[in-house]
Amino acid sequence: MNRSRPLWIALLLMWSLLPMLWQLITSFTSGDALVNSDIPFQQRWTLAHYRELLSGDPPFWRYLLNSCLVGAVSTLLTLLLAVPSAYGIARMSQASRRSIRTVVGAAALFPYVLLFLALLELAREFQLGNNLLAIALPYAGLALPLALLLLISAFEGLPNELDDAARLEGLGLLDRLRWVLMPLIAPATASTGILVFLFAWNEYPIALTWLSRDDLLTLPVAMARIAGSSIYAVPYGAYAAATVLGSLPLLALVLLCQRQIVAGLTNGAVKG
Amino acid sequence: MNWLLALPALLLMALVFGWPLLRYGWLSMHASSVLTGLEPVPNQGANWIRLLEDPRFWQDAVQTLRFGAVSVGLEIVLALAMALLLDQRWRGRGVVRALSLLPWALPTTMMALGWRWIFNTPYGPLEQFAQAAGVAPLNLLSNPDWTWFATVMADVWKTTPFITLLLLAGLQTIPDDLYSAFRLEGGKTRQAITAITLPLLTPYILISILFRTAQAAGVFDLIQVLTGGGPAGSTESIAQYAYLNAMRFLDFGYSATVMLAGFLLLSLVIFTAALLLQSSGLFRPLKS
Repeated sequence: MNRSRPLWIALLLMWSLLPMLWQLITSFTSGDALVNSDIPFQQRWTLAHYRELLSGDPPFWRYLLNSCLVGAVSTLLTLLLAVPSAYGIARMSQASRRSIRTVVGAAALFPYVLLFLALLELAREFQLGNNLLAIALPYAGLALPLALLLLISAFEGLPNELDDAARLEGLGLLDRLRWVLMPLIAPATASTGILVFLFAWNEYPIALTWLSRDDLLTLPVAMARIAGSSIYAVPYGAYAAATVLGSLPLLALVLLCQRQIVAGLTNGAVKG
Repeated sequence: MNWLLALPALLLMALVFGWPLLRYGWLSMHASSVLTGLEPVPNQGANWIRLLEDPRFWQDAVQTLRFGAVSVGLEIVLALAMALLLDQRWRGRGVVRALSLLPWALPTTMMALGWRWIFNTPYGPLEQFAQAAGVAPLNLLSNPDWTWFATVMADVWKTTPFITLLLLAGLQTIPDDLYSAFRLEGGKTRQAITAITLPLLTPYILISILFRTAQAAGVFDLIQVLTGGGPAGSTESIAQYAYLNAMRFLDFGYSATVMLAGFLLLSLVIFTAALLLQSSGLFRPLKS
């Protein structure tokens, strides 16, 4: 294994990165060169796909902005609900904790795409469609199981004496949460927040059914729509440019917050 | 007080997860389609009888199962290899781990588009490669016998990093002393994998399988963008059929029935698997 290790590492990197690199190359290749391999190397490159994308109606950065907004609001709402809830659950009796964990774990496993129809009915009933703030409600609901599992574990890891001591000092519930407990579970909160953000950024079926106005689409829906309604014969150059632009913020986030993501994923699955 | 704190989050969860199931149970006993003016009319279980006799639903069920079984199987094997590689100590390991996580983070719809181009006939790189090797055309996205495997490949590429992480966490709980002792007793390095690594990793592998099987049973985004369920319905999944019923055929009663049936089938699969595991004695709880 030791001698062949560089080979395995190279294979792993190629497998992970080549499909993405191919998109990058495609995005800079002119439409003609994509379908004609006889075009000489120097004449194959272009920025036209990016220009087209950014001058579209609505321009592509609009979708990036929508996704950022939806991601941020969903994350905030999820944490706002999950932190106090996890604190309360972590202080319940062993039996209640176990049954809540079972229910929450089952919800975390549930293939949520099957929920879209009933959620769409709710959106129609309460006129929540085409509203980038309202879509944070189902997103928070769908992200809560994972968030709760992570945060309950984090609160359970804190000694009870800490909470008791703070209470003896005369701190009320909110003060204890804010000044004593929150700083201690900050790492778990960060992991949770990043995972919720990623979920909201990538979510497709709910966004597909809740959002229909052109200028309100989130990235995944916009991408799928570009794919479905293109007027070009082989529009893969434009697709590729869109995937590159849409991925860049995410790649940056993942590379920067790698540690939190890894901690969150492993704790969520293993402890839950 | 504790319950009061917990309540808002639990209520929202009940609304988002619980209400739809109740609603589907009710809708599945009603006709609610264009024919009824989109108003629900009780139809005494006609949806369920239709479902039992609907070849398309059962074909989709088999296809979903095939997609799940093959992709989760491949992912576990591949992830095990990757985790073993990333568990060793070498320079640059952290960077490689971060880079190998990237496929998991990208939105599925986005990379499904990318794969559509890679699988494209005749301009995609795989097809060009096959041409050079003299085996073209592969028709990866238009051959009803093969295309399902293209969806599996795209899924394996995207979700293997996630399983790798879980298995890596499991590997890191195995103390090095065990391996040293094994070598002192005269065991070969290769034997250590079957004697120590795999048995201790089993709970992590089972959790990964459970998690991924449940996700694969709801596969939607990937297939919707990569193949649209085609060619000739050969890659259509249950979730997609339910989506079509609701959004294209506007038959909400039947769509709800399909989703409920899909959920029941998944529960049945997981329940059977859990029973089998329990009787085989393979499963030991993670926290003792």
